[in-house]
Amino acid sequence: MQKRLKVGILTGALMGFVGLLIFSGSVTGAAKQTLTSVYSKAAPTGLDDPAWGKIKALEVPFDGKEIFAGKKAAVMTKAVHTDDEIYFWFNWKDATLSVTKEAWKFDGQAWSRMKGDEDRISLLFEINRINNYATKGCAVVCHVPAGAPNAKEGKFGTATDAEKGDLWHWKAARSDPAGYADDGYLAKISDTKGGRKGDAGKGGDKQNITEDKTKPKYMLAPGKKLGKNNILLAADAVEISDYSVFKAGDVVTFRMPVAAEGSFGDIKAVSRYADGAWTVILSRKLNTGNDDDVAFDPRKKYNFTMALFDDSKDYDSYDSEALNLEFKK
Amino acid sequence: MSEAEAHTTDQRPAAAAARACGAQLLQMQVPADAICWHRFFGALQLALIGLLFLTGVLMALAYTPVPGTAYDSVDYFQFSLPFGDVVRGVHHYAWNLLLMVMGLHLLRALIVGAYKSPRQPVWISGVLFLLVMPLFIITGDLLPWDQKGYWSTQVRFSIIASIPVAGDFLVQLFRGGPLTGIVALTRLYVLHILLLPCVLVLLIGLHLYFLGTRGLSEPLTAGAAPRPKVPFLPTIVNRWLAVFIVSAVGLGLVAWQWPAALGDPADPTDSAFIPRPEWWVLFLNQLVAIFKGPFMVIGSAIIPGGLVFLLGALPYLDRSPERHPSKRMGVMVATAVVLAALTALSVIGYVEHFVRPEH
Repeated sequence: MQKRLKVGILTGALMGFVGLLIFSGSVTGAAKQTLTSVYSKAAPTGLDDPAWGKIKALEVPFDGKEIFAGKKAAVMTKAVHTDDEIYFWFNWKDATLSVTKEAWKFDGQAWSRMKGDEDRISLLFEINRINNYATKGCAVVCHVPAGAPNAKEGKFGTATDAEKGDLWHWKAARSDPAGYADDGYLAKISDTKGGRKGDAGKGGDKQNITEDKTKPKYMLAPGKKLGKNNILLAADAVEISDYSVFKAGDVVTFRMPVAAEGSFGDIKAVSRYADGAWTVILSRKLNTGNDDDVAFDPRKKYNFTMALFDDSKDYDSYDSEALNLEFKK
Repeated sequence: MSEAEAHTTDQRPAAAAARACGAQLLQMQVPADAICWHRFFGALQLALIGLLFLTGVLMALAYTPVPGTAYDSVDYFQFSLPFGDVVRGVHHYAWNLLLMVMGLHLLRALIVGAYKSPRQPVWISGVLFLLVMPLFIITGDLLPWDQKGYWSTQVRFSIIASIPVAGDFLVQLFRGGPLTGIVALTRLYVLHILLLPCVLVLLIGLHLYFLGTRGLSEPLTAGAAPRPKVPFLPTIVNRWLAVFIVSAVGLGLVAWQWPAALGDPADPTDSAFIPRPEWWVLFLNQLVAIFKGPFMVIGSAIIPGGLVFLLGALPYLDRSPERHPSKRMGVMVATAVVLAALTALSVIGYVEHFVRPEH
């Protein structure tokens, strides 16, 4: 009986120890949304991979600002990582597919640029810690009011050289048709220049405009097909030699996506617009080895924020609060 | 002494003292009943303190006590240096376990009446640990400069400030100014890695010295026959080494599997962050919550201070020679009531802060 009692006491004490130890390992404090990346041996094969259906989405609320002030939005968010890659899945309601981005339109007599921008989603991670970014979010990297001399290159930037962010920017018209999201970074802002920079390499878009700025310079090359959402890719364009081939109502892309190379093209993108909603998957190597990218270590937690642009310019966006990204083994 | 002996025997006083000490250790005998499961907590405490010292020294090698940079240095240590996560995890889990083991060690001594004459100094030096360990935690929590540590420290400072007369002075002493910044971090760092370890070593030395001079308490079932003895070296030392190795490996595995958390960097402007109390301080937090405003001092100082005082004075309050719990019902009932109250307050605190948090 005494032996049983001893074993009972020891077992109880051991269980108590283990319970309290595990409890002690949790960070306690105010609530902050956490996106948990689920480990998968195999990479998701695309938008319709059944693996996405098994993961519970995190509904991230967004608050509108500038022209969207007072409005709300929400993005359903999921993440999966393999041994060397991470995949983000986003789904948000958007009543209109916006990929115009000031495309050229021919009225039978002259060319003019259409009104309309594009839909976008962007993410900002920390490469090196940005002071108070974990709590204040992108407000701490938004320094310059619109119209300031350095606002031309974007109003974003960090306060010191030691702080650096990794900017992922998916653009429905300018990057998605080429199959990637722009990979940039955020460095110190100066009095004359914004802190937003493109990663090393090639990418972005090429303006399709003649030197006199009156009409498009390029058209689809013979034998080539237009890209997703009828966007003309720079790689498939040929200089227009005969403008008489165009008829009234013809539309030609103004900002032609350029195939990304190097660190600029680290982030692969696939997307679909259907039933009044965008579904976008962004994927990247956990660690690209590039100085201008955040290196994801599955043991760590990361702070990030997101912004949505609904057919709008940089200032007119829906912004999320700061979120945590953590990895589940 | 021959010339040959002079060559082989060092005559310097320090060497002679070391030889004498070594010889004494070799000759030292301790009661064989020292090796039993319910006396294991003392050895485990010593092993955990050893682990805390070792891991603390390793972490200090990479630590920078500057707000902001402190967080980066801890982050670098944990995620960029080999086994950094294990070392920090062992440090984190070791002090949590130490608190539990210390409580059990004290409870065992209380139940078996180990505080009774002639062992009062052993007991009092043990109770003094209770005053020192929270200081380690108060000073250590701020060091990673994360949200939890920063705001927990703020809460603790406000509780300390409620202590009559000395409260504000103590906070000023810790913080060195109106805000918790670089001066506070430096002061707490120096306290944590230098002054408090010195006090702890002194207390351990005193505790062991009194243990050696006043002796281990006899088993409750001991008869009149003399107690069998075992040599301190190697029997006890080997057992302690085994406890140390098992603790190190065990906590290393726990730390490897469940790394110690590192929250968001501290943001002193983010007053929306409300730290939730840790398990060992849940009862104290509830006490402070019960006694609000001008009565806060009752929960923050009078009740906890009174309990520690009663604990320290126990050998002089319970002077009867009886040690068996069944013959000390008054002490046992009082202990059970206090334990039940602390447990109930902790459970209420857990429910309030973790099951139904308002924030």
